[in-house]
Amino acid sequence: MTTDATDTASRSDAATAQASAGNAPAADAQADRIRRAAELIAARGPSAPVLGRDPVNQAMVNTWTEAMGDANPVYTDASAAESSVHGGLVAPPAMAQVWTMRGLHGTRAEDDPLGAMMLALDEEGFTSVVATNSSQTYHRYLRPGEHVAASNRLESVVGPKQTALGEGWFVTTCTTWTVGEETVAEMTFRVLKFRPTSSRPSVREGARIIEAPEYADGVLRPVTSRDTAFFWAGTQVGELRIQRWGDTLRHPPGPVDPGGDLDAKPDYIVARGTGTVYSYVVHHHPKVPGKRLPFVVALVELDEGVRVLGELIDVDPDEVAIGLSVRAVFLRVDEDLTLPAWEVVR
Amino acid sequence: MSVAKTLSASDVEIGATLPPMTIKASPTFIISTALATRDFQDVHHDRDAAVARGSEDIFLNILTDNGLVQRFVTDWAGPEALVRSIDIKLGVPCYAYDTLTFTGTVTDRVTVDGEQRWVVEVVGTGNLGDHVRGTVHIALPEEAS
Amino acid sequence: MRTARRSESLGSGTARRSEAGLSGKAAIAGIGATEFSKDSGRSELRLSSEAVRAALADAGLEPTDVDGLVTFTMDNNAEIAVARELGIGELRFFSRIGYGGGAAAATVQQAAMAVATGTADVVVAYRAFNERSGHRFGQVSSAAAQQVNTSGIDNSFTYPMGIATPAATVAMLARRYLHDYGATSEDFGRIAVIDRANAATNPNAWFHGKPITLADHQASRWIAEPLRLLDCCQESDGGVALVIVSAERARELPQPPAVVRAAAQGSGPDQYVMTSYYRDELAPLPEMNVVGRGLWRQAELSPSDVDVAVLYDHFTPYVLLQLEELGFCGRGEAKDFIAEGRLELDGSLPLNPHGGQLGEAYIHGMNGIAEGVRQLRGTAANQVAGAETVLVTAGTGVPTSGLVLTLS
Repeated sequence: MTTDATDTASRSDAATAQASAGNAPAADAQADRIRRAAELIAARGPSAPVLGRDPVNQAMVNTWTEAMGDANPVYTDASAAESSVHGGLVAPPAMAQVWTMRGLHGTRAEDDPLGAMMLALDEEGFTSVVATNSSQTYHRYLRPGEHVAASNRLESVVGPKQTALGEGWFVTTCTTWTVGEETVAEMTFRVLKFRPTSSRPSVREGARIIEAPEYADGVLRPVTSRDTAFFWAGTQVGELRIQRWGDTLRHPPGPVDPGGDLDAKPDYIVARGTGTVYSYVVHHHPKVPGKRLPFVVALVELDEGVRVLGELIDVDPDEVAIGLSVRAVFLRVDEDLTLPAWEVVR
Repeated sequence: MSVAKTLSASDVEIGATLPPMTIKASPTFIISTALATRDFQDVHHDRDAAVARGSEDIFLNILTDNGLVQRFVTDWAGPEALVRSIDIKLGVPCYAYDTLTFTGTVTDRVTVDGEQRWVVEVVGTGNLGDHVRGTVHIALPEEAS
Repeated sequence: MRTARRSESLGSGTARRSEAGLSGKAAIAGIGATEFSKDSGRSELRLSSEAVRAALADAGLEPTDVDGLVTFTMDNNAEIAVARELGIGELRFFSRIGYGGGAAAATVQQAAMAVATGTADVVVAYRAFNERSGHRFGQVSSAAAQQVNTSGIDNSFTYPMGIATPAATVAMLARRYLHDYGATSEDFGRIAVIDRANAATNPNAWFHGKPITLADHQASRWIAEPLRLLDCCQESDGGVALVIVSAERARELPQPPAVVRAAAQGSGPDQYVMTSYYRDELAPLPEMNVVGRGLWRQAELSPSDVDVAVLYDHFTPYVLLQLEELGFCGRGEAKDFIAEGRLELDGSLPLNPHGGQLGEAYIHGMNGIAEGVRQLRGTAANQVAGAETVLVTAGTGVPTSGLVLTLS
């Protein structure tokens, strides 16, 4: 079915929605929010020192030197260490950070600035992290029994930067390690907090994406082509994308302009997602992979004028009728597949 | 017993190169070093999780890079060389089954707080390219011990 | 809303020279079939070989006389495999037609064109499968969903969403038909009752001796609402073959020829396989309208000339739609048209005297063509007296085909 988009009110909405992907003002607003968050977090200054899980101890040193393959006897051989420049066992300087690692179940302190900054960037879609720089200065060697505490402060947040991993922000923190009042080591640590290029872009605001892993078991996966890939990319981000050729909408999409112009190139609108049931089926038999019987499938006429098929979820089959108002939702089966579906507008 | 010989300041010249060190980054190596540094992030021990996050495989953590750079320098300089700072910058990831080769050069001698320190530039290279570049400051005894 | 149609209907009601050229040139000279069952106990190749042999015997011909074979793209038995089994030797013509049961009448059209042009002399059209004991069409076909071609792309907008069986594809349209024209499930049921009544007195039918009532239909369980179990055809094992030769040659053979008075294929605008859901109106069946116009033009006949209608009945709603598209009644009027007993054996338009695919067997429409031939010969189990003009249609909801067969 194709339909004339000029007859609908959606055209300008759609054009706006489409433009927003590379929309400069939106990106600027996001960068401003991130910088403001960084300023606030940096202004709090250093966090209160937090003691490591255990004091410096021989067991952890032994494990560390074995794993690293470091045979230096000043760390592990008491008599050798005694006759060395250290006059006794010391911990490897490069273990400075190890003593205050949170461990498997540790939580960040509430005033930890790195945690706060990570959260702020997560919320903006920069969900992945990779360490890029570590600059450690050791004021002296540590000895077994000393209990090290760490205090962190946010040094800088720089971005957005385009990197090989994706767009991201460099977050630099400073850590001070103390034993009692004495500063024993310091570190400047930088991570790249990024939005992976391969990962899903952020979901359309207001879209209802329902995690539906139960559908994954045997679900009939769509075959896609260059002509239809945009539709499936859209469902992943909560967008019901309808192909547009000039002023004409077309669904299901195809590679040639309905007007016959081989030079024409399609784009798409993001449908509002609302429409009415044009027809429907209550499927009872036989079993369909990934679906629980009975289920309802509705052919919906969108407000924009084209029909789109999808399961109508969370509905009593007896409640369904032609003309029922529905809106699009999205069933996220797994990383690769999100199915369009409908829910009743109540 | 006495510890092995440590280089003295007079043994070292700017431009000296360090004997290369090779590390086979087996999954066991990557996981045991991650746990020894109390780093329990899944990308350092759970291949499925690492792949799901867009990596080829589990990969070496930065705390281990610190440890390896330190070991590389003290293996050469001797057990009593005093490590004063390690500054590293990471490049390409080091995934499981990679082999890292560390090379190093003495590039400078500086005096900090009245102590003479040697500056060693280090590069650790894997199959994908330079994985880590670093600068290590060490202090050496004035005389051979 | 404005729909941009890319192809307009053909419009013309007059015969086109090229189409009229086929009328009367070929005939079905032999029909053959295996028994119809739920478990044939033998391979599909064996079934097709038996059906072809039976059809040749009926025509008074030998395998060595055959120089052409035609079947469905969905058939699993290659022409060369059938030829090897039967000692057919050289083939000069072989062809396959797509779109499932829509191919049925078109296999005869292909054969007729081949013999009319001298491309081949004796062409056998065949279809055989273990569609109940083997691969069942009524189940979800992941192969249909996962084929990497344009049909797979088409199916990507239905199968993953749960429209994944033939019954479900039809139910979508049937629901809208009920809504648009005020028909009811009982109107669908009347088709099932007629088919089963005819099957009950056809010894070759699977449901021989098992008629149903409208109450039985209404009590049968939902498959895909608004379709009930008794709206859906059987799943069958079996094979059917048809021997097509030139009309002249047919007259020299033992059986009275069933002359191919018209043979047409049809596909509509915005056509899909079973899921043409994006047309301005959902409930019509424009592809059958194309076939109907082609048939009436070629045959220079009209619906009122038809003595027996063998209408493809894999699902009951499509019989109603066909009556409308073929011109027996106006759009939406089928419920009234059938209510007056017209489709019964003694009515003005006897429907599926063999019991159809709901009653006799589901051999993808080929058993319906064989029934059309028997009606002309006067040898059918439920013979319609004086049957001289028979209409046979092929699969609906898909690009399809039809035949008008006459005695001379």
